[in-house]
Amino acid sequence: MKTGISRRNFLGTTAAAGLTSLTFPSLLTGCSSEKGKKTTVEVMAFLDQAPDGPELKAGLIGCGGRGTGAAIDFLSAGPNLKIVALGDVLQDRVDACREELKKEKGHEIADENCFVGFDAFQKVIDSGVDVVICATPPFFRPEHFAAAVEARKHVFLEKPVCVDPVGARSVIATARKAAGLGLSVVTGTQRRHQRDYVETYKNVAEGMIGDIVAANCYWNQSKLWHFFPDPKWSEMEYMIRDWVNWSWLSGDHIVEQHVHNLDVIHWFTGKYPVKATGFGSRLRRVTGNQYDNFSTDFIFENGMHMHSMCRQINGCVNNVSEFIQGTKGSSNCRNSILDLSGTELWKYEYPATEDGQPGTEVKVGPYKQEHIDLVTAIRTGKPYNEGENTAMSTLVAIMGRISAYTGKEVTMDEMMNSDMKLGPEVFVMGPVNVSKDVPVAGEAYIPGSES
Amino acid sequence: MKKKWIWFIPGLLAGFLIFGSGSVMVKHTSENEYCASCHIHPQATSSWMQSVHYITKSGTYTNCTDCHLPPHGQGYLIEKVKTGARDIWSQWTKDSASFNWDEKGQLENARHHVFESSCIACHQNLFPPELTKEGADAHLYYTSYKEKQPDLQCINCHLNAGHFIAGYTHGGNTGFGATSLSNMVTYQSPALVSRFENFKEQIPGSVVSFNMIAIPGGTFSLGSPDDEPLRDSDEGPVKKVSLDSFYMAEIEVSWDEYLAFYAQTSGEGRSSDTKGNGAKSQHTDAISGATPPYGQPDQGWGKGLRPAISISFHAAETYCKWLSGITGKNYRLPTEAEWEYACRAGSTDPYFFGGDPSRYQKSGLRAKISRNDTSVINSFVVYAENSRAKTQEPGFVTANPFGLKHMTGNVAEFCSDWYQADAYSQYSGDVIDNPKGPSTGTERVIRGGSYKDEAGMVRSAAREYTRTEAWLRTDPQMPKSIWWYSDCFYVGFRVVCEFDTKTGK
Repeated sequence: MKTGISRRNFLGTTAAAGLTSLTFPSLLTGCSSEKGKKTTVEVMAFLDQAPDGPELKAGLIGCGGRGTGAAIDFLSAGPNLKIVALGDVLQDRVDACREELKKEKGHEIADENCFVGFDAFQKVIDSGVDVVICATPPFFRPEHFAAAVEARKHVFLEKPVCVDPVGARSVIATARKAAGLGLSVVTGTQRRHQRDYVETYKNVAEGMIGDIVAANCYWNQSKLWHFFPDPKWSEMEYMIRDWVNWSWLSGDHIVEQHVHNLDVIHWFTGKYPVKATGFGSRLRRVTGNQYDNFSTDFIFENGMHMHSMCRQINGCVNNVSEFIQGTKGSSNCRNSILDLSGTELWKYEYPATEDGQPGTEVKVGPYKQEHIDLVTAIRTGKPYNEGENTAMSTLVAIMGRISAYTGKEVTMDEMMNSDMKLGPEVFVMGPVNVSKDVPVAGEAYIPGSES
Repeated sequence: MKKKWIWFIPGLLAGFLIFGSGSVMVKHTSENEYCASCHIHPQATSSWMQSVHYITKSGTYTNCTDCHLPPHGQGYLIEKVKTGARDIWSQWTKDSASFNWDEKGQLENARHHVFESSCIACHQNLFPPELTKEGADAHLYYTSYKEKQPDLQCINCHLNAGHFIAGYTHGGNTGFGATSLSNMVTYQSPALVSRFENFKEQIPGSVVSFNMIAIPGGTFSLGSPDDEPLRDSDEGPVKKVSLDSFYMAEIEVSWDEYLAFYAQTSGEGRSSDTKGNGAKSQHTDAISGATPPYGQPDQGWGKGLRPAISISFHAAETYCKWLSGITGKNYRLPTEAEWEYACRAGSTDPYFFGGDPSRYQKSGLRAKISRNDTSVINSFVVYAENSRAKTQEPGFVTANPFGLKHMTGNVAEFCSDWYQADAYSQYSGDVIDNPKGPSTGTERVIRGGSYKDEAGMVRSAAREYTRTEAWLRTDPQMPKSIWWYSDCFYVGFRVVCEFDTKTGK
C-alpha cells in the first residue's frame, strides 16, 4: 500500500485529474486529399425536400407557438407526412394548434388524439406515432425525450434540451440509447441545418482562417413577452403560460435563447469550455424570477476564451451573432470569412430573389430544413443524432447561468457531477413549490463590518 | 499432488503431438472443459454457472476465455501463453490448498484476470434501452472519465457478472443495516462518569455499548528514530510530546456502534448539497446523517464487532458529533499524537510487543531466506500475514498494555490531523504540548496500517494518509457520496473522549 514513489506523487497528480473529453457523434468527417496539405471536409448534402416513403406519423407534445410552427415545418418537409396527435397541459393551446394546422395545411386531427394534462405526453407517444416532436417549455424535455425513446420513437427536440445538470445528463444518456436503437434525433439548434452556416463551417474546418484562437457570441435583443397572473389561473398554469420568465421552466434566457450561439461556437471549435465566470442582473424584466442580461467569460481547456453576452431589454443596441478569430483570419460563422487585414476572402452566395435581385436568404429555411433532414435520415435508414451535442451546448449555457447566479467560477467538471435539479416535485394545476426569488450573487455589505 | 506433475511436461508434449497442429491445440486449451479439468478451483465453475453470464435470456453463455483472455487479435495469444506459463509455475511451486479464493475473488485481485477489452468487445452499447438512471449516470461517468482514469474498469461495478457472489450489490442499498440489533434491551441513558477510570459507554436509544479506556497523560517521543528498520522519512524528526489524559475506545468503532448512529440519523434521500451538510450542522442541533450506501459497505465480511469500514472521514466526524450530542460528553477523533501515544503504551520500540520489523517481514529475499518467525506479531496484529484479506473481530488479538485492541493492523484509523510529510519538523520547542498537526492540508492522517499491510506498515510510528479521490473511484452516483467510500475497505476509526482535569469528568 505504501510505496515510496506513488505516495510522494499522489497529491500532485490526482488533483489534476478531471473531466476528459466527451466524445461527440458528428455528421462531418475530415479526410486528407491525396495531394497532401489541403483537408476536405464533407458536410451533409441538403435536400430541398425529404424523399418519399411510407407514411410517417408524428405526434406533437407542447402546442404553443413553437410547437405549432414545428408541426407545420414537419408537414412541409416532404410527401406522406402526418401529424396525428396533439398534447399539451392547456386545452386552449391544443385547440389553437388544431385550428392552425387546419388553416395552414388543411390538416385534421381526430378528437380522440387530442390530449390535455401533465400525462398528455405519454398519451401522444402511445397513440401510434413514428415521430415525436417535443416543444413544451424546456423543463419537461428530458422526461419527454426519455419516454419517447423508451417507446422507440424518432424525436424532434426543441432547444434547449434541459434546464439543469441532471436534465443534461439524462438527455445525453437518452441520446445514446436512441443511437443504440438506430433512432434519429434532431434538435432545434437550426443553425446546424442552415446552408450558409454549414458552408462557412466547411471553409473554416478546411483551414481558411487557420486555428481558432478566440470566440465571441451574442444574443442581445429586446424584451420578450410576459403575462400577468389572472385570477382564473392556478399558479402552475400562470407560470407555464409565462414560462420564458421563470428560471425553472426556461433555464433563463442564457439557456433558452443564447444556447443557439454557444452551440455554434461548440460546433465550429469542436470543443466546449471547461469553466465559466459570468455575471448578470435583472434590470427591467417584468414578471418571473429570471435575469435579463448575462455576460460570461468561458475558458476552454487549451486556455482559449469565449466571451458571451445576452440581453432582453428594450432600447439597447441589439446583436444576434457569432464571431471566431483564427490565426489566418476571422469569420462571422454565418456567411463571411475575412483575412487578418479585414479583406473578405469568401462569402456565401445566396440564391437570387424571384425578381432577380441579390438574395439574402438561404434557399430552404433552417426551421424547415431540420425537419427535411430528420425525415431524410429516417427514410434513408441513416440515423442522425444530435441529442448529445445539444445537451452539451445547453450545459455550457447552464454553467454560465450558475456562475452569474452565484458569483463563482463554475467548472464543467462540477456540472457533470452536480445534482442540481430545478422545478417542483409535484405537478398539478395548483400552487408551485419552488423558490420565486431572483438570485443575488455575492455578499451584501454590512454596516460596521469593516473597521 | 506433486507426483501427478511429474507427468505434466511429457503429457504436454504428447498433447502437442496428438493434436498435431497449434491451432487445434489453442482451440482445445481454450474450452471451458479444459479450464475446469486443470484448474483447481471447482467453485469457479459453479459460481460461473450461477452468474448472469451463464444464465441468459437467450440461453447462450460466455466462456472462460471470453473474459479471462483479451479478444482475438488484441493480444489473445500472448496473454494465453503468459497465463499458461503462470499456471504451470503455480502448479509446480505452490500448494493449491493454501490459495485463498475469497481473496483472489476480491476486486483488486480479480481485475488482473479480466480484460476490459473483452468486456467492450461484447458490450459495445453501454446505453441499452433498459438501462436505469443510476446505470446511465455510471456509464456516462465511465465514458467521460475513462481516458484520464485508466483504473475505471467495467469489473469495478460488475464484479459479480462472471462469477456469482452471494449478497453482492452494486446499487442503492437502502436496506443496509436495517435488520441488525433487535429484541435486546435498549439503553435509556449514557454512562455516568465520575472518576478517571475505564468505563462502558451506552448509546441511548440503542442496545449498543462499548468500553472506553482511561489513558493517563504523559510525555513521549513522537515518531521513529532514523535507524528504525522499514521506517519512512515522514516519521521524523522525533519530537518530545506532552499530552493530557483522555479516554480512548478499546476497539475500533464497530458496525454495531456505527449502525446505531445510522439507524437514528440516516437520511432517506441524497443531500442536494454536494459539499455536504457538515459545516451547517455545527450550528444546529440536528445532525444530518449518512445517506444509504451504494453497494455493500461491509464487503459481506459480517458486521457486529468488526470495525465499520467504507466510512468517509466526514461520516466519522459526524458520528463523533452525534455521539457527543446524545451522551453529553466530548467525543472526537484522536490527534495523531494521541493515537501514537496510546498505541505505544509506554514502549519506544517499533512495536509495543517488541521485535525487529525486518524479522517480521514476509516478503523480500531476506525474509524468504531467514524464514522469519511471526508467532509474536500474529497474536497482536491482524495484518497481511494472518488476516485472510479481511477485517477480524476484537477477540482475534491480544490487547496492548493500555488494554487497547487492534491499535495496529485490522483497519487503519482516521486521525484528526491534516497529513503533511514534514509535519513533525514544523513543530518547534523542547516539549510540544498537545500537538494537533498542520493547520491546513488536503488529506488526513490515517494510522496503524491494516489487514492488507505487511509488518513494516503496522509499526507504531508508521504514517499514512487518506486518498479521497481514489477511494470514490467507482461510486457511480452523481455527485459521489460524502458518507461512503466505494473503494476503500481498509480504513475505520476509533473515538477518544476528552477528560477535563478541572472538573474530573
